[in-house]
Amino acid sequence: MPLIEAHGLTKQFRQAVKEPGLVGSLKHFFTRQYKDKLAVDHIDLSVEAGESVAYLGPNGAGKSTTIKMLTGILVPTSGSLIVDGLVPHEKRQQNARKMGVVFGQRTQLWWDIPVIESFNLARDMYEIPAARYKANLAEFTELLGLAEFMNIPAGKVSLGQRMRADLCMALLHEPKLLYLDEPTIGLDIAVKDSIRKFIHRLVEERGTTVMLTTHDLGDIEDICNRIVIIDSGKIIHDGGLADLKDNYARDRVIHFQLARPPASMEPICAGLPACDLHADGLSLSVRFDRFEFAAGEIAAAVMPHVEVIDFRIDEPEVEDLIRRVYLGQLSLAAPEPTADTPESAVAAEA
Amino acid sequence: MRGLNKYFSIAKASLEVIFVYRAGFAFNMIGTVFYVVAMFYLWQTIFLGKPGALGGFTWPEMKAYLIVAFILNSTMTWFDEWTMGSDIREGRVATDLARPIDFQLKRFAEAIGPVPFELVSALGIGAVVAVVFGGIALPADPVHLALFIVSAALATLLKFAIIYCVSMVAFWTTGMEGVQNARMAVQNIFSGALIPLVFFPEWLRGFASVLPFQGMISTPALTYLGAMDGPTTAFMIGTQAVWVVGLMLFGRLLWRSAIKAVTINGG
Ligand SMILES: Nc1ncnc2c1ncn2[C@@H]1O[C@H](COP(=O)(O)OP(=O)(O)OP(=O)(O)O)[C@@H](O)[C@H]1O
Ligand SMILES: [Mg+2]
Repeated sequence: MPLIEAHGLTKQFRQAVKEPGLVGSLKHFFTRQYKDKLAVDHIDLSVEAGESVAYLGPNGAGKSTTIKMLTGILVPTSGSLIVDGLVPHEKRQQNARKMGVVFGQRTQLWWDIPVIESFNLARDMYEIPAARYKANLAEFTELLGLAEFMNIPAGKVSLGQRMRADLCMALLHEPKLLYLDEPTIGLDIAVKDSIRKFIHRLVEERGTTVMLTTHDLGDIEDICNRIVIIDSGKIIHDGGLADLKDNYARDRVIHFQLARPPASMEPICAGLPACDLHADGLSLSVRFDRFEFAAGEIAAAVMPHVEVIDFRIDEPEVEDLIRRVYLGQLSLAAPEPTADTPESAVAAEA
Repeated sequence: MRGLNKYFSIAKASLEVIFVYRAGFAFNMIGTVFYVVAMFYLWQTIFLGKPGALGGFTWPEMKAYLIVAFILNSTMTWFDEWTMGSDIREGRVATDLARPIDFQLKRFAEAIGPVPFELVSALGIGAVVAVVFGGIALPADPVHLALFIVSAALATLLKFAIIYCVSMVAFWTTGMEGVQNARMAVQNIFSGALIPLVFFPEWLRGFASVLPFQGMISTPALTYLGAMDGPTTAFMIGTQAVWVVGLMLFGRLLWRSAIKAVTINGG
């Protein structure tokens, strides 16, 4: 049985419609106008134990709302949701015992008292046996480098330190499920990297199931094996990272560094009829469909005509992919995606 | 009672916070000292030239009433509608909901944590003021003292329950400062904090007796003084207890429906 199982899960918010200013407030006071906002719109989602899911989507897509329903903080408007055999909002405390959650935007640490005491509070709140607590605290302190600010109040540590401490706090009770809502927001590259490594390790070694929302696509490549994309409350993609790349990123670009400018493009073009070629001085790039050609075939077709000093292959950028999904340039519902991006159209001119 | 351990820890942490904000706490205390001294002078003037009792109070008894009121007003001062309201409005309660804790009990632990310290401070200041003003009436016997302690404890619970219920308004409105001021105004009048209820006109006294506020000051103070006969004391303390239980449950109910209807902001 899946750990998370949602069917037709929906959350509708009622937002007050209010004109600005005092007059608007007064008017609202008497007329009380509301508009319904479907934040999460009949989503189906099933997550097996041990999976690490990246939950992506543009701002306002419904990611945080979904996480809040999964954690039992929000009551769904309709649909069914079972997490590890429980309906989260009905058995909120029982559900809370089995999960950890980090909201990047707000801390769970006690603001005014030293970080270590927040951890001690977690020990008591989750009734963690003393030995387990000690072992976990030692391990996380080591891995996340918490020692230097352990005795400083959470309100006085830096954002990166706070986030690491929050992560520790969420994991001391060894939850089988970890929800991360933008865990790397506002962090520098080094801290991001250490957090990603840490979560990766958690997934690998402890088999923790992770669901992560982020706008930083570095997070997903390091951590996740599955990608769910939500837009306007609806799930528009659900699959492996590799699937996404296979289906929607068939293009590869191979760049050659040449010793001399090519004498003529004719013979090269003739050898690669289905590809886009782009030559510019000493560089030559070929955009090809990786299901039609192997990189080696491209190289074999180019090599006889020019002297190649060096070459590299561009992987499709996940970021670019998802941006295109967000912008609606890539329809994930369509069976055959259009390979024509603006760049390749320009390249074809050359 | 292993399940309550976590709330004990929360209370302890909350007590620690008060030491972080010790300057604020000290200023608060100084403010209430000025207030209680002013009340003493005011009532002294009223009692001046009246050798007997006023509304059943002798001057030493009145002084005792004022000290008791001061001490009760000085506890649980760190829990108010404004704080809880902003936690609700700004979505910080989401953090509480993501944990295996009961929301009301957690809030209670936070509110009760600093009380021992507040109590010690208030008792110290109260003793000094009492001595400076020539002493106060003491409870007639240990029974009254014991009953007073019970009633004072109930008064503190009652304060929590009332503020907790009123805080739930934050789910529907932004003006928590106004709400809090309104509650304090009503409480100051009907608890007997400003004027003992016996000085009220009949109709107003009737009104006060059906409200929970009298249990916050009047009942414990009169119990301390032994001003009520046995059955009346039992009835009044019973009334306090009923209000505590009723409002605690009502608060839970409010929370439950509020959380369903409005749910957490932001994200
Ligand atoms: N408490 C609320 N009341 C009313 N509307 C809300 C509430 N919370 C969220 N919404 C609305 O629901 C939609 C989804 O919000 P949500 O926070 O889930 O988005 P998100 O995907 O997490 O976005 P972001 O990437 O910006 O964090 C938004 O349009 C938002 O305005
Ligand atoms: Mg969000």
